[in-house]
Amino acid sequence: MSETNSSRRRFLCGAVTSLSAMSLYQAAPRWAHAQGTTGGVVSNQPVALRIDQRPFSFNGSSAKSITINGQMPGPLLRFTEGQRAVIDVTNNLQEDTSIHWHGIILPANMDGVPGLSFAGIRPGQTFRYEFDINQSGTYWYHSHSGLQEQIGHLGPLVITPADGDIGADREHTILLSDWSFEDPHDIFRNLKVSEGYFNYQKRTIFDTLKDVEEKGLMDTWQVRKMWNDMRMDPRDIADVSASVYTYLMNGRDSVMNWEALFKPGEKIRLRLVNGSAMTYFDFRIPGLTMTVVAADGQPVKPVAVEELRIAIAESYDVIVEPVGNQAYTLFAESMDRSGFVRGTLTPKAGLTAAIPPRRTITERGMDAMSMDHEGMDHGSKDHSKMNHDMPAMDHSKMNHDMPSVDHSKMNHDMPSMAHSGHMPLKVPVNDIPIHHDEDGHGPGAAMIAANPRSRLDEPGLGLENNGRRVLVYQDLVGAQSWGDEREPTRNLELHLTGNMQRYMWSFDGVKFSEVDGPIHFTHGERLRLILVNDTMMDHPIHLHGMWMELENGQSPRPRKHTISVKPAEKVSLLITADAMGEWAFHCHLLYHMDAGMFRVVKVSHGGHHHE
Amino acid sequence: MNKLMKMSLFAAAVSSSLAAYAETDKSDWPSPMSEMFFGQVMFDRLEVTRNDNQENVFTWDTTAWYGGDYHRIVLRTEGENQQNDGAPTDLERTDVSYSYLLSTFWSVQAGLGVKGELSSDNDLEHYAVFSLTGLAPYYFEVDSSLLINEQGDVQWLNEVEYDFLLTQTSYLQPRLSVNTNITDSTRFGREAGVESIRVGLRYRQEIVREFAPYLGVYWQKQLGQTANSAQRLGEDTSEFGVIAGVRMWF
Repeated sequence: MSETNSSRRRFLCGAVTSLSAMSLYQAAPRWAHAQGTTGGVVSNQPVALRIDQRPFSFNGSSAKSITINGQMPGPLLRFTEGQRAVIDVTNNLQEDTSIHWHGIILPANMDGVPGLSFAGIRPGQTFRYEFDINQSGTYWYHSHSGLQEQIGHLGPLVITPADGDIGADREHTILLSDWSFEDPHDIFRNLKVSEGYFNYQKRTIFDTLKDVEEKGLMDTWQVRKMWNDMRMDPRDIADVSASVYTYLMNGRDSVMNWEALFKPGEKIRLRLVNGSAMTYFDFRIPGLTMTVVAADGQPVKPVAVEELRIAIAESYDVIVEPVGNQAYTLFAESMDRSGFVRGTLTPKAGLTAAIPPRRTITERGMDAMSMDHEGMDHGSKDHSKMNHDMPAMDHSKMNHDMPSVDHSKMNHDMPSMAHSGHMPLKVPVNDIPIHHDEDGHGPGAAMIAANPRSRLDEPGLGLENNGRRVLVYQDLVGAQSWGDEREPTRNLELHLTGNMQRYMWSFDGVKFSEVDGPIHFTHGERLRLILVNDTMMDHPIHLHGMWMELENGQSPRPRKHTISVKPAEKVSLLITADAMGEWAFHCHLLYHMDAGMFRVVKVSHGGHHHE
Repeated sequence: MNKLMKMSLFAAAVSSSLAAYAETDKSDWPSPMSEMFFGQVMFDRLEVTRNDNQENVFTWDTTAWYGGDYHRIVLRTEGENQQNDGAPTDLERTDVSYSYLLSTFWSVQAGLGVKGELSSDNDLEHYAVFSLTGLAPYYFEVDSSLLINEQGDVQWLNEVEYDFLLTQTSYLQPRLSVNTNITDSTRFGREAGVESIRVGLRYRQEIVREFAPYLGVYWQKQLGQTANSAQRLGEDTSEFGVIAGVRMWF
């Protein structure tokens, strides 16, 4: 009720007024023209990129932004598979900068991570990136220096296949981002010193009273007790919300309404990239079915969906075939439902379509705590090691005393009624026991997932049973196999951990500043990376330099550069350690990375053994 | 032959690039992620109370900290000044501590401080302080401090706060503080036992996250020997008052 109103009001507060729209427009990228692209275009060589700082003035206050060749986001770079890319990046900032080519397989010294690949690009310097491109698809690039990515230091990168066939008559690139007039250092500080600073959708006592009315006092008490015992907020969906963000599509907000033109009957490839610092988006085009043909740039067998969740740093290519001579809304709503951005797919400039009604926040359910029955069936016998900070929540109690917990939030118990109606596939990680540190990963971890389980068949929070067919990771089937079918010779288990109170984020409870060395891969080895999410948040985990093949029960496996891991989920990925050097491995939530959720993976010739 | 030559050229190229990689001088490279330090000054209570003896009292309760996630320096100061009573400002505590994050929700502090009436002729009490602060289950914010002065007299100060969310920007905050003398203090006229309890309720409205004015009420009861002394002097042992103040931080 009042929730919808208040979130709408907040959106209007945070939304771009015509004044700020002007300032955004000054820098809106020129590549994002409405016609899109009908053929392969190769950027001139060498590509010259100029990084500038540019002040925005807005209602008397000013904000810093970074432009690339005068645009924010930066220019669309186009290459062709098989060519050599030569890119000169000139730093006109007062501080060091860098560009990381997200998802591109290249030599370690071209990867653009200061401190790992190179020293960074000093003010006034030009750095030449030079690498062979042996892949095609939709990618992006961004700064790996400080918090620059948040203020516009990013852009899309598209590689046309060698044969030039994009499988469509026309293509549009859609880069989503989250823009703020606040200094990103202030955003980070507010997260560090004041938990929940940006969340204006918390539970109030009236929500609890409503629950009592609807579910009865005992059930409400049981649920509240669990969350309160753990000192966790079931509505902590996104750390940074529309209270401070304006969501952008190709540098335009909803008022500016980015337009993409089409001719009815055409097959259109939409290259969707989430270049946000902190925002998961749910994307759909009401009235159109989207056929997903690539994930993270890599081809997958076509799967038709009506909505998809795109994690930070992921990309999806979808084909749409609008037949009507009408406009369609390109609708991207933030996962926490605090805001959205829309654009329009239209046969004629100036047409618009309805903006779908906004959805309200969905609370995290018990599934986020990993206390479900299924987890036990899958062989995790380790539930005795529950963190001392967690209440003793035994499973029998869960299943018998709390029958009326809202089932829409617990759909993993009812797979047959799920979103897209398919059963969870058998995945290797089901049979792999998970180990937790004896101390529950220390003060850096507020909880441990006692019974993590595979959740690849779930669309994620707020998308369950919404009447639409929503993409799930289990739907992704590689269009081909990737050339290394060896069994992994070892398992490497890493836990995603966090402490919301102090905004500490880490792997295995240890922040990057506390680790004593890199994670070692032996060159040429095949290994299985197992990620266990011991937090209540979704984390997009990104490995530089090497693909991760997702063991989602499909064959061929899809491969990804960024994998989003749900709360209390365990997921396994196969990696061929074929890239020598030091590579970044981190959570792609910008402030999580900076708070410590970052590791170095070092690939070297033998000699190192990771227990 | 030709193929072999190509292969050896390739091998040479690979090994030279590997060698180049190994020889790179990284001494001037930054760390890929640097640890940042933060700080905050929090005026948890900055308020004027009017009690049932028609006295106006100004009260402050402030915490400032600086540091990382585990190690911090914490400054705490709390005190009051009654208007027009001719008496100097009463410093309930002012101490600087080192703070260490012990577990997810709890940190411990150890430090030194000073308390007493801020007049030139009064002798101030110097103390060592050991505290446990954090968030208890059910989101109770707890601050428990043991104060030991130069004579070895021990006081135990406890505060518990809770925030009920009424809306996204307004709160109802019950607050309880209990001061206990673990030992007698002849020099400062304290006798062992629970000295006082104070219960407050504040309604707070955030203008922005950093600035939130509030209104409230409190009730305070003196107990034990402290109450006996007050009774001997013909004073009330309980007190009721209304509060207006602001919670702010930067």
